[in-house]
Amino acid sequence: MKYEVAIVGAGASGLMTAYFLLEKGVERIVVIEGSYIGSGSTGRCGTGIRASFTSEENIVMMREAIELWKKLSAELDFYYRQWGYVWLLTDERLVSAYKEFSRLHNKLGVPTEVKSPEALDELIPFMEKADVLAVLHDKIAGKADPFECLFALSRHVRERGGEIRTHCKATKILLSGKEVRGVLTEEGTVECDNLVVAAGYGTRKLVKTVGVDLPLENVVHHIILTERFRESLKPMVVHTATGAYMTQTKEGHWITGVEIEEEAGGPFSVRHDFIPKLMGIWSRYFPFMRNMHLLRYWVGYYVMSPDHHPILGPLPGIEGLYVMAGYSGHGFMMAPSAGKCVAEWIVDGKPSIPQAERLTYERILEGRLIEEKAVIG
Amino acid sequence: MRVVCRCEDVTYEDVVKAIREGYRDLESLKRKLRIGMGPCQGRTCIPIVARILARETGKKVEEIVLPTRRPPAKPVPLGLFVRK
Repeated sequence: MKYEVAIVGAGASGLMTAYFLLEKGVERIVVIEGSYIGSGSTGRCGTGIRASFTSEENIVMMREAIELWKKLSAELDFYYRQWGYVWLLTDERLVSAYKEFSRLHNKLGVPTEVKSPEALDELIPFMEKADVLAVLHDKIAGKADPFECLFALSRHVRERGGEIRTHCKATKILLSGKEVRGVLTEEGTVECDNLVVAAGYGTRKLVKTVGVDLPLENVVHHIILTERFRESLKPMVVHTATGAYMTQTKEGHWITGVEIEEEAGGPFSVRHDFIPKLMGIWSRYFPFMRNMHLLRYWVGYYVMSPDHHPILGPLPGIEGLYVMAGYSGHGFMMAPSAGKCVAEWIVDGKPSIPQAERLTYERILEGRLIEEKAVIG
Repeated sequence: MRVVCRCEDVTYEDVVKAIREGYRDLESLKRKLRIGMGPCQGRTCIPIVARILARETGKKVEEIVLPTRRPPAKPVPLGLFVRK
């Protein structure tokens, strides 16, 4: 059997693409996952979804993603809450920078607003304001449950006749001349007209088998989760100066991370200095956190591109090959609009969001890098 | 009703149902049902669920791959990590 589209990677990007292909009437599809569903960055992420970025590309892709998050969570029934992001601004330089960012957000249809610290009385009433000078409130941002989302998508894809194979590693892209004809896996060849590689850093390895070396780097990021509490921390709170972020999951765990210096390709393991760094930041605003119990600590990867934007869409020179990788820490949140655009590229030859066309690999080949300043965690 | 995970209130019936729906490894069952994600860190439920999974999938218990273990071994107060 020859598939119209094979997708490598059953994370948010791969499964969203499968969803939108089915919407467009493409039914002979297969998703190939090397481990279990959500075993990569989606299942390890901080759950946040926001459009408060600083590049037009990120802002518009995320704004469109938020519209899709609303629709998909209602249709497929998974946890999604539009409870906002609260960016704590603790020095004058940040306040003026975020006032400027907010003007850009507003211009692009994202209604963020710089407010006085008193806004916290309503948004996070139990928080100490300490040195907070102002906050950027992004009220259309929010969060979703990664596994509920992936399981709902998987069920939908299978019910509609799509196939998902787990624990099956893709090892080599097969070409016929300059055209994709399939992908080799541990369980044999999968023939397809189009191949989407949405496999995090694995994208780099797989695409290398056709001689293209995508400039992606794997950087370890750390994250912890507390015991459960009743619903309390509704928005995502970001300590902008350090990039620490924290919110609460569907089950009531508080989940938080912060960037800590790591070399690309560094060890995939926990560090003794990570939680002290986090607590050094949060214990000032949430003194009671000292009494909260740490339940779990894990690591995941930010797959970094040279300019903190994903490499999305068709690869020049190889007919039928598409990539989705290098989101640089924002893949889960962008997955709905990225998946929709890749499905449109395959079926219509062009995405409906014009900004997506600026995210292809060509921008890197031609040196048209895009700047993004609001990368956190 | 037989409870197999006391932290997350998961029953034998929940486990069998999930396996039959296609969640056929412990990593997936953990994320579907939240077994092993509570304060006991899976010490109670994982061996039980591994046996149910083995029986349902016709494997030996030794063939069931255990989920990744993540620190801490038991919950600890975050205050321990605050530098004085």
